Amino acid sequence: MTALLTLTDVSMHFSREADSRYAVFGGINLKVGAGECVALIGRNGSGKSTLLRVMAKIFAPTSGSVSWAPGVAVSLLTLGLGFRPDLSGRDNAYLSCLLLGLSRDEATQSLSQIEAFCDIGTFFDEPVRSYSAGMRARLGFGTALMNRSQVILIDETLSVGDQQFREKAREALERELAGDRSVVLVSHAEQQVQRLCQRAVLLENGVIAAEGSPDDVLAEYAATIGKTP
Amino acid sequence: MTLSQTVTLVDTLARFHLKGESRQYFLGYLWWVLEPLLYVGVFYLVFDVLLGSRQPDFLYFLMVGKLTFIWFSKSVNQAAGSLEANKGLMAQTNLRKELFPLAVIHQGVYRQLAVFGFLICFLLMGGYLPSVAWLWLIPLALLQAMLIAGCGLLAALLVSLRRDFRLVIQLGTVFLLFMSGIFWDLNAIADARLRDGLLVLNPLANLIDCYRQVLMLGEAPKAIRLIWLLGESLLLLIPAWVAYDRLQFWIARQVVTR
Repeated sequence: MTALLTLTDVSMHFSREADSRYAVFGGINLKVGAGECVALIGRNGSGKSTLLRVMAKIFAPTSGSVSWAPGVAVSLLTLGLGFRPDLSGRDNAYLSCLLLGLSRDEATQSLSQIEAFCDIGTFFDEPVRSYSAGMRARLGFGTALMNRSQVILIDETLSVGDQQFREKAREALERELAGDRSVVLVSHAEQQVQRLCQRAVLLENGVIAAEGSPDDVLAEYAATIGKTP
Repeated sequence: MTLSQTVTLVDTLARFHLKGESRQYFLGYLWWVLEPLLYVGVFYLVFDVLLGSRQPDFLYFLMVGKLTFIWFSKSVNQAAGSLEANKGLMAQTNLRKELFPLAVIHQGVYRQLAVFGFLICFLLMGGYLPSVAWLWLIPLALLQAMLIAGCGLLAALLVSLRRDFRLVIQLGTVFLLFMSGIFWDLNAIADARLRDGLLVLNPLANLIDCYRQVLMLGEAPKAIRLIWLLGESLLLLIPAWVAYDRLQFWIARQVVTR
């Protein structure tokens, strides 16, 4: 399998105070292949989100190297990217599309698709500040689906809206992610990990503590936090 | 992201911010002109009505100076905080960081177009006759936009290093307010060396004097003064561009993990 993303001996340190540094993680080796869905599991504060940002070229690692296959776009799937409450859903969706790297024409063409997916009626042309949390999530999810990157990094953003919309969102996401696109998914939802991912990685105490099938890694994770799966 | 996409994004960020901002106020876009005019009103009250300025046509003199100064001060101060203001976006995308201060600077350009329109109408109503020299307003405005871009980009970078620079920059613009000949005439400085030194060291003073020369006296500015302005703007812009090119990851880390 061709690796779209390769992390070699990656470590990350942050400064807590002026003189003290702490290690978020170290010695991370990971490959993500084309069409593969990898779950990243770990406790809060274990560095999962930071690792996603290193993969998304937002942060450079303190040491080690990250390589991306030539021409492969990698990005975080974000709900409500750049949303401004005083703008309408339409304007926010357009802006979000531009931020995702779409051209002006592509962004304009995407609007009807987003409007249909969100299913919020005339609210699409009302300011987002007048939306309920569920409507905001619908708009955010509908816009996020316009992400055309080949490697998608997801940081616990799948459970939004009411039961009916969650189901619609799950189906849409699985449809979008089918094929050659690769996914790195940070999630605490066991069922989601088991259904979507072929492989899982457990991040514990700043290192990869386990790697393998989602069932095995989830069991290992459950053991580390002291509960049964 | 291609250059065309980058330009579209900066322009859309600027326009949508202005649109969102205008919806927060009852008078909406009118504040683009009203806010600087209120500043002019306050200065006019103090320096002309109360202190009795001896400057001929003081109201027009003040307006040209103050309305161009506000463009600079507001844009630079807002650009200084722009990386911090877009912390959330920076944590989610790997967009080039200079886009954020540039979008803020671009907002200032839109506002200033309205302000220049108003200023020209006001000068015409005051009996100032338009002349070919007024066309110099275009290169002068372009030079000011370059100066603002250089200062704004560097200001944002400094604030991402330490928030304290935000206060220093605010204080710096107040210092420039007094040193740029906004409510007093630089040409009143008797010592020619001191006057020329001030014009060289403070590009904003040079710019404001050139604007007055063009709009109030109908004269073209001296080429050497424009060359100075261009040189000083490039002296700020080039290192800013190089710094942003090399510090993309550093900026994200500084701002996002703060």
